[in-house]
Amino acid sequence: MLNYVIIAWRNLWRNPRRTLITSASVFFGVFFAIMMTSIQKGSFENMIENMARFYSGYIQIQEKEFMNTPGVNNSFELSPEYKTVINNNQSVTSSTKRVETFALASNGENSYPSFIIGIEPDKEDLKSGLSEHLIKGSYINTNSVNLMVGHVLAENLNIDTGDSLILLGQGYHGVTAAGIYEVQGIFDFPLPALNKQIIYMDIANAQEFASIQNRITSNIIMVESTDNIEEVINELKQVNDKDTNVYTWQELMPELLNLIEGKESSSAMVKTLLFMIIGFGVWATIMMMMHERKRELGVMIAIGFQKSKLLLLVLIESALIGIIGVVSGLIISFPVFYYLFHNPIVVTGKMAETYESMGFEAKIAFSINPEIFYNPAIIVLVIFMAVSLYQVFFIAGLNVVKSLKS
Amino acid sequence: MNVIEIKSLTKIYNSSEVQVKAVNGIDINVKEGEFTAVVGPSGSGKTTFLNMLGGLDKPTSGEVKIGGVDIWSLTSRQLIDFRMNNIGFVFQSYNLIPVLTAGENVEFIMQLQGKPKKERAQRTKELLEAVGIGDRINSRPSKLSGGQQQRVAVARALASKPEFILADEPTANLDSKATTSLLELMSNMNKKYNTTFIFATHDQRVMDKARRIITIEDGKILKDEYFNRD
Repeated sequence: MLNYVIIAWRNLWRNPRRTLITSASVFFGVFFAIMMTSIQKGSFENMIENMARFYSGYIQIQEKEFMNTPGVNNSFELSPEYKTVINNNQSVTSSTKRVETFALASNGENSYPSFIIGIEPDKEDLKSGLSEHLIKGSYINTNSVNLMVGHVLAENLNIDTGDSLILLGQGYHGVTAAGIYEVQGIFDFPLPALNKQIIYMDIANAQEFASIQNRITSNIIMVESTDNIEEVINELKQVNDKDTNVYTWQELMPELLNLIEGKESSSAMVKTLLFMIIGFGVWATIMMMMHERKRELGVMIAIGFQKSKLLLLVLIESALIGIIGVVSGLIISFPVFYYLFHNPIVVTGKMAETYESMGFEAKIAFSINPEIFYNPAIIVLVIFMAVSLYQVFFIAGLNVVKSLKS
Repeated sequence: MNVIEIKSLTKIYNSSEVQVKAVNGIDINVKEGEFTAVVGPSGSGKTTFLNMLGGLDKPTSGEVKIGGVDIWSLTSRQLIDFRMNNIGFVFQSYNLIPVLTAGENVEFIMQLQGKPKKERAQRTKELLEAVGIGDRINSRPSKLSGGQQQRVAVARALASKPEFILADEPTANLDSKATTSLLELMSNMNKKYNTTFIFATHDQRVMDKARRIITIEDGKILKDEYFNRD
């Protein structure tokens, strides 16, 4: 076998330029496929993480009607069984209660619709690092009666820290929810959509505003990694509570999931095109390699080389081209994208505005998920397997006498 | 003792309009140790005859027995193995494997035969020295002259200890000095190892060395003459 590899290796370098060009095409195909997927997955992972951290969490427990009819009327009290599961599961990194309701926010002159989130300030900060996003004022404490407002909403209402904000909405079972609160902080989220409407207040304050006493609208659970979601969900679903449902982030944000799936489909088409071009390039090279050595292959059969062994030899040759391209692609791309994963590219200027207008954080994030690296390698393997069929037919149909005359 | 027994060997090529009898019912025997030239004008059928004899081209009818084995009754896999163990080839264009050194080219066939490494190395050295290029054992074919390459081809053909060696126009690409030297070499090999040589040739110098000359014309044996060259 080693001899076959040695002969195959030497055969490759009979025409070093062609071998290098073909391997380079595989290399660039692998590199660009990794780059495209890394950017795309990185952006999605970043978006999912932001949405999960700042809004939905990876898992939520909700009253069963809340999904279809959000509002404080569909609030619930978290059962002790849920608390036990959450406290005992090692994969759960944080669990925090929320009250979510809608209200009209007014400074007296202008009013804007707002989305009020009652939070447990300390736990929420631990989960999402919310306080790091404050651009003005200070973070609210437990039992505080003050608010924190998204900077776009604050600009629209022309309010600043220390100013009063009037909230008017509907509380539990039709009770009027109204209050006047002091703005303690203004924050800037990496999710531009949230800056336009979110108001944070302490959960007790929100419960009082909506007149729901100890009830909550959701319990947000964060886990160590998205891989742990299923395991935690399964455990939570064992709890016998007919009034609640447990959801994953995918179920909570179906539009985000659709966006990801749509983008992934279009990216898959581009990658298919990329690999098709590489595939035809490799095929052309293999065809040339076979045809220009037809006579030599005929001689080898004439002197006693079985066709099966000859096939093995030429398959090793084409596999080596693929291996050179794939391995160099992986060796060069991994450190590049590992660096970019830890140092994402911050987008500025007009491009940043475009990103934000589309609801994305203005940075190019990268992913280093292992599948990003091994998927192109598998695709190249499949390409070479497909191309090797040509070699199988070529060798099988090789006529020694005609080859010797060629 | 007959190494080769050929009976009613025929090869017919069917083109769209006409049937061509390239070889037309040849009967011939070749004894061990013969140094035979098959001659004839272009298109006479000598290469087709040699190809059928070497197990490369299937006859339309007839029989080729080598060492008592009817080679055309073998499966294609068996035939390739039979060629490896019983027939040595020397081609007009040398046809060495370009990525292997002279030594590796010679050793290659013994490797296919599954001979032990030590035996292979020893025989390779011996053969290359016998053909006069022992010092070029590590040279690739591209670094050798035409004459030197053909010497390696002869060594390769002898490596498997075949029943006989088929040489198709072995001197056609060589200058006169290299031709003389190669013929001398093959004649010596014939005497030293008692290996049977069969040439297809136009070259008078080869004919002058041959102890038997078979003349083919229109696919038939026209003359079969023996000469004493001693």
